[in-house]
Formats: sequence, C-alpha cells, structure tokens
Amino acid sequence: MEDQKQKEEFFPKIVGYLCNWCTYAAADLAGSSKMELSPSLNVIRVMCSSRVDYNLVLTTFFGGADGILIAGCHPGDCHYDKGNYYARRRYALLKSILETLKLDPERLQLSWISASEGKRYVDVVNEFTERIKKLGPNPINRNAYY
Amino acid sequence: MKTTTAKSLRVSKKEGVRKPILAFLKSLLTDAVFDAILIPMQVPAGDSYAWVLVKDPSLLDQANPLAPIMPVQGAKALKSLTRKGEGNLKIAAVMRPCEVRASVELAKLNQIHLESITLMSVDCPGVLPVADYFENPGESEKRFNAMLSENRWGNGSMKSVCQICEQFSILPSSDFHFGLMTGSESSVVLISSSPKGQRVLKDRSLDGSVSLSDWENGIESIRQERKKERTKRFREVQSMVEGFDGLLKTFARCIGCHNCQSACPICYCRHCYFGSEASKLDSDFILKKAEQRGGLSFPLDRRMFHVGRMSHMSLSCVACGLCSDACPVSIPVADVFSFVADQTQRTFDYKAGEKREEPLPIRQYRLEEIKGVEEWVKDAEGVES
Repeated sequence: MEDQKQKEEFFPKIVGYLCNWCTYAAADLAGSSKMELSPSLNVIRVMCSSRVDYNLVLTTFFGGADGILIAGCHPGDCHYDKGNYYARRRYALLKSILETLKLDPERLQLSWISASEGKRYVDVVNEFTERIKKLGPNPINRNAYY
Repeated sequence: MKTTTAKSLRVSKKEGVRKPILAFLKSLLTDAVFDAILIPMQVPAGDSYAWVLVKDPSLLDQANPLAPIMPVQGAKALKSLTRKGEGNLKIAAVMRPCEVRASVELAKLNQIHLESITLMSVDCPGVLPVADYFENPGESEKRFNAMLSENRWGNGSMKSVCQICEQFSILPSSDFHFGLMTGSESSVVLISSSPKGQRVLKDRSLDGSVSLSDWENGIESIRQERKKERTKRFREVQSMVEGFDGLLKTFARCIGCHNCQSACPICYCRHCYFGSEASKLDSDFILKKAEQRGGLSFPLDRRMFHVGRMSHMSLSCVACGLCSDACPVSIPVADVFSFVADQTQRTFDYKAGEKREEPLPIRQYRLEEIKGVEEWVKDAEGVES
C-alpha cells in the first residue's frame, strides 16, 4: 500500500550537464519562447560536454540522482572543435561499465542539442523524465550503504 | 617494420630453465650489450622478491626471472627508474608479460620513458597469491619450481587472474622474449621482435636453427584452455557483482584503505579525486543524506570509489592481480576489475599494452562512431528546423 503511494508520488530528480555554447543556449531559448518543460531537470552549466569527468557523473549517480543527462553541441559543431567527440568516448566508457555491472545504464543519457533547438531540448527533457519515471527511483537511495 | 629472429638456449633437465637464462643475461652485462638489468631478486631473508637494477654481473646469481610471487609490479619499478625522462644507460627489464603491458600503458600515459629500455618478456606460468606464499615461503618456492619443471601450467594454486590470463606469452609490444613452453624441455627459445631486440641476439654464439612451431603449439593449446576457463569465470564474477545489490555485497567488506589503488601499476595520479578535498562533503549535507536513506555508512564513497577507479583505469588494466594481493579484507578486486576491463576494452576494440603504436581509446576519436548514443530521441529528430 505504502509502496504504491510512493510510486505515485515519485517525481524524478535529474541532473543535466549542459554545454555552455549549445544546449544551455537551447534551454534559454526554450525558456524565452515560453515552452512547457518538466521541472525535473537540475541544470549545471559546463563549458563543454567533454568537461564532464567520470567522477562528476558518478558523484551524481551515487549521490542519488535518478537520471543524468549530458548534452552538448552536435558532432562537428563543437565550440572547441572536438570536445564533444571526446565526450562521446567517455560516455561510451561509462555506459559500458554501467552495463557490465547492470547498474541501470538507462539512467545515463547523452544528447546533442544545438543552440537553436529549443523545441528539441524540451522534447529530450520531457521524454527522459518520462523514461526515468517508468524506471522508478534510483536504487542507490534504498539503503544506508554506498 | 618488425623483424623476428629466433635462437635457442640449451637447457639440461636437472638445472631447469632459470640458470641458462641467467647465464645468458650475465653474458649480456659482461659484453656491455646492456649497462644494467632490472630483474626481480630474492631478498636476503629469502622470503620475498624485490626489483633490483643490477650492474654487477655476479649479483645476477640471486636473480629470478620467474619469481613465484609479484609483490611489486615491474611497471612500477620501471616508472620510478625513468619518471624524470630517459637516461643514458642502456637498460634491459626482464618482466612478466603483464608487467610489459603495464609498462607500455604507462609509456602511453607519459609516466615511463621506454627509449633506452629493452623490454624482455618471459613465458609466464602465473604467480602465487602473496598471502599464500608468505605462509611458508620455502615450501611455496619448492612447489612453484616443481610445477615449473614438470610443465604443469595453469595450476590451480596460482592467482585467479593468472589462471585465466590469455596474454601470458610473447607480445607485439615486447622487444625480446624468452619462450619456455618448448615441449622438449631441453631448450628455451629466444625471440627478438624489434631492432632493440636484434641488438641482443647479434654476435651471440647460440644455436640458430630453431623451429618455433613446438613452442607456438604449446602456447596455443594453453591459450585455448584458458579461453574456455575465462568465459566460465567471467560468468561467475558477473553473477556475483551485477546489480546494485551485487556491487554492495561484493564490496561490503571494503574498509576504504585504497590499497588496491596504491598497488595498481596503472593508477598513477599523485592527486586522486578520492581522498582529495573535492570529494569531501560538509556535515549538514551528510546529515541530510542520512535522513533521506535512513542512515549512512562510513567511510563514505566506498562503492563509488571502485566504480570511479574502473572508469579511470579499466581501459589500461592489464589484469596483473596486484589489487587482490593488496586487499587486507580479501575482496576479489582483481576478478571484478579484470572482468569489467575485458568489457570496456572490448567496447573500443582495444587491448591494454598489446601494441605500442595504438593510442589510448579516450585520447582519440573517429568522426563516425559509437552509434546509438541517443537512439531513444530518434523520434524527436527533425521536429525543429
């Protein structure tokens, strides 16, 4: 009974690492265009998607975030020329570890959203939120050990 | 271009392989092919081994290229030797294949300079876990040598990572190799596979008419057996560690001493995130976390430490097993890490330490790769122009 109640009330907490030059501007555009957006995303602005170190992701993940979104410029459009290619490799490595250990790899997402794609930003955030809602709360929050 | 030359050393069954190898190394020192040789040597008390940079040929009598344990990873010794750049001395490092691989990885990470170093690898039967060895060093020594002379490779008393190691023989990245698995037990094959290695065999009066097929077959048959065992063991490790509960159970004993990190040849950062000020949390925050979860165990970040370390070093992990040896609470760290490393290296089609010219996967990229990073948003594409 109580479990059910908890599930109903579950509203995910998602941390988003947004690249300053593309996705953060897209978020800004979505806001100034008054588009409707799920309030689940807690935005952290980074200068480049490749700034997102493994430990940054893992601290959020083991700290109890239900989902983590890393978003940056489309391949080829990086403000620093090639940062997002490196970000993609790091993401692939983290994904591979989470998949190997079966630690809900679906909670980690990398997306390319350019500065003009305000609508796409909204879609990505809303869809990701829906997905995390279906997954439920991060199991890391279940007990005292982590 | 790689050129391979092979010669052979005669071995009498009584003496074993150690003596002729040492005699050969001695001749390299006396003939000034090398100025010094880095090799494991038994400590005076006779109950452990240490890396020694040998200048005096007579000291080589106490050396052992096939030490039964690996208390310090050879790459670590080589790192302290060349950390501040290459020297003028020509040095040979006689190592196990996993140590050669770790050295190559550290060279890619700019922690080792290999310019003046000739890496010599040995067919490796594996090593004993240090804890087992220290229970009775004399007895362990005997047991190890008996196993070696009887060619009983893949013995169950070796470290668990050694039992499933597939890269225990010659590597594309080593300069010179001692092949022990000849089958005939009367010879050791010497293989040089780089210009540096060629220098070693030049002017040596050795038997040059060697057929490598016996040795290659011997290696291949062991490798096939290991491959099967590896798949089986990895499945076991996976069922042990997978999921949030599995991870917690496996590392529940962890006391957060970070010994696995200190023993690891690849973990070279002098300022690690774990243990740094950046990883510390203020007490109000911790209290809030405890409230959320009903309680909080200390030291903090024990599970995250291991996953964090995996993300930082698993692409270069050579599965040497030093982390398991170093663990005071007997967590099978190496089994978990070698399993994860196998998967992550597969993701990038990379094998740590195999090839010197292959750059580290996260230091390079291709324009078109890793498809499906964002497949779930496919539908959203094209919505906004």
